[in-house]
Amino acid sequence: MNRFTMRLIYVSVLMAGAVAALALSPAALAQNTASGDAAKGKLIYLADGCFTCHGRVGQGGAMNYPAPAIAKLEMPVESFVSFLRDAPNDMPAYSTDVLSNEEAADIHAFLQSLPGRKPTKDFPLLNE
Amino acid sequence: MPKPSNSPDAGRRNFLKGATLAGAAALATPVAASTEAANPPGGSAKATVPGPRLAAAETMPPSKDPVTQTTSGGDFMVDVFKTLDIEYLAMNCASSFRGLHEAVLNYGGNTKPEILTCPHEEIAVHMAQGYAKIEGKPMAMICHGVVGLQHATMAMYNAWCDRVPVIVMGGNIIEANKRGPGAEWVHSAIDPGAIARDFVKWDDQPTSLQHFAESAVRAYKVATTPPMAPVMLSLDAELQENPIADAETLKIPKLSKVIPPQGDSAALAELARMLVAAENPVIIVDRVARTPAGMERLVELAETLQCAVIDNVGRMNFPSRHPLNQSFRRTILRQADVIVALEVNELWGSLNAFSDRIVRSSKPNYKQGAKIVTLGSRDLYMKSNYQDFGRYQEVDLTVGGDAEASLPILIDQIKRLLDDGKKSAFATRGQKLAAAKLAAVEQAKSDATIGWDASPITTARMCAEVYSQIKDEDWSLVGTAIRLTWPHRLWKFDKPYQWNGVSGGAGVGYNLPASLGAALANKRHGRLTLAFGGDGDFLFAPSTLWTAAHHRIPILYVVHNNRAYHQEYMYLQAMAARHGRGITNTATGITITDPNVDYATIARGFGVHGEGPIIDPKDLGPALKRAIAVVKTGQPAVVDVVTDPR
Repeated sequence: MNRFTMRLIYVSVLMAGAVAALALSPAALAQNTASGDAAKGKLIYLADGCFTCHGRVGQGGAMNYPAPAIAKLEMPVESFVSFLRDAPNDMPAYSTDVLSNEEAADIHAFLQSLPGRKPTKDFPLLNE
Repeated sequence: MPKPSNSPDAGRRNFLKGATLAGAAALATPVAASTEAANPPGGSAKATVPGPRLAAAETMPPSKDPVTQTTSGGDFMVDVFKTLDIEYLAMNCASSFRGLHEAVLNYGGNTKPEILTCPHEEIAVHMAQGYAKIEGKPMAMICHGVVGLQHATMAMYNAWCDRVPVIVMGGNIIEANKRGPGAEWVHSAIDPGAIARDFVKWDDQPTSLQHFAESAVRAYKVATTPPMAPVMLSLDAELQENPIADAETLKIPKLSKVIPPQGDSAALAELARMLVAAENPVIIVDRVARTPAGMERLVELAETLQCAVIDNVGRMNFPSRHPLNQSFRRTILRQADVIVALEVNELWGSLNAFSDRIVRSSKPNYKQGAKIVTLGSRDLYMKSNYQDFGRYQEVDLTVGGDAEASLPILIDQIKRLLDDGKKSAFATRGQKLAAAKLAAVEQAKSDATIGWDASPITTARMCAEVYSQIKDEDWSLVGTAIRLTWPHRLWKFDKPYQWNGVSGGAGVGYNLPASLGAALANKRHGRLTLAFGGDGDFLFAPSTLWTAAHHRIPILYVVHNNRAYHQEYMYLQAMAARHGRGITNTATGITITDPNVDYATIARGFGVHGEGPIIDPKDLGPALKRAIAVVKTGQPAVVDVVTDPR
């Protein structure tokens, strides 16, 4: 059973840090040296359960707090790997015992390959 | 006994008349029918006028083994229910209340209360919970002695945590020498209410019919007095079944409801001063609106102050698209200098961020020095064993009283303090909040575009497709899956019945039956009832669908089928990552696959229209259209949508 309250409103300052950490800065973009394999990364992303919080297409989700959308991730791969090793708040940290640097880079490549968000004007159902 | 009319008063008069006549007859002619005594062995059984039975009835002394009776305690109990205007009695039939069951049918005419046949006691209680939140009054349920009550208890706990009045009754056989061997012993108890006493507000086991009448009226009164909660009555089978011995003395007491208490006027005046003086007041609400007036009053309060409202959505408190609704911008708490919590049960959880890590920690998410005020009935009644009150939150002012009842005084006090300067400042504040609200809605729409055409279907797409189909109807969303926030982010909720809160105790198995209870309440109003529900929740009480079909309760039930107990999936993943092992193993014990459950087929098996499984998002709109067409004919329908996790 859910160990915490089953409430609908989940916007929380807790995850704000995670969201900020995953957001792109121009400097970070310049350092982006991702070289992983996106196809492998997709398999790992699904097998290792990343999708359980962040969705199969990186659309985000929620555990106790919102899990941010990570499709079309623009964080540099080095930052991404570091983030996974010492994740903040309720995000599990993934050590090298369970996720190698290479696998993490593959996940990074997969996330970068996802299309991400699109202009809302192109979605009539979202403008009703 | 004459068949009573549908009028409660007429029914009661008939009952009392019949009971009195029977009593008078017994006094005048102390006889009873004893067929064996009247028909000697080997004698002719063929009656001649007046016949041996009638002759025996008129001439023989009372038998120790009568075989018929003209009154029953259950009849009187039915009159009590009619007096209380109890519309439904949800039940799973059982021998310990066969007396009342028969009386409801044949004395009460199966109206007020009308029996709702439920395949599980949890369904019965949860239906009552969902019904009460829409209809604003309780219904009753009755369960079998001991084992039926044990089935009912989790749902009672949900209703307790959700502050919802439910009248729970259970059968019992009090006197040991009256119990038959076997089942009647294992289904009897000396104190049946003990199992539920920690999560009912009051309980009793009446030992006479007069005692029952007074306790039933008291139970109704206690249950519907804020803070509301379930109550329980244990009904002795003998009391239900046997003839009434003292009909002429029985009286059903008048129900006088408690006027919900308003907060102290001086305290509300102080709160008004704090709010008017504040630069950035924030109102947090949870279960404020207990009547349609609640939302209206909260809107007036917020608009008077032009301040932010954070809605924890325990009730339909505040319009989702209102410019002052900042529920998805909780970081504004960091700027708040006055925080007012209205009927918030667990305020600490709203004001602190908690980390679920090896070393658990927390920190306030509001500005230090902010004044915190609570207004509500929660502090007026509390129990100790079950910890639904949450961690203790320091506050600066606690006003005891029903928030909805207190709002008119508070609003009036605020308006007395306003001048043009304040109004102008407030208007400026409101404009900023409105702009932020618009941006939040646009952000939600943008988020919803991610993976729009994906399969499994994203929850955003699912909710957008549903809204597209129902937005022009008089709809009422009465259930949702865990953490499915898209409706509140994207839809326009602005009517008091368009939302019905959540389970309260987070006991899984609430959503399907509680949604059906709400749909029952909505039926008479002609509303289109719909609910989302998780697949795991669905599997706890799928036979709810049979009740829906049997009683022809229209509801569109959309199964958010992520094929897992998904919250636990994430927890287990976190455990495996923490332990540095087996992060690919966590589906075991979590997922609901191999085989995949076909919810549409299950629905059809219970006589309910089923659509799905819908895997391609392009198929969802047409499936919803077909299902809604069925619902509009007064029938339930299920749409199974295979979704991504959240």
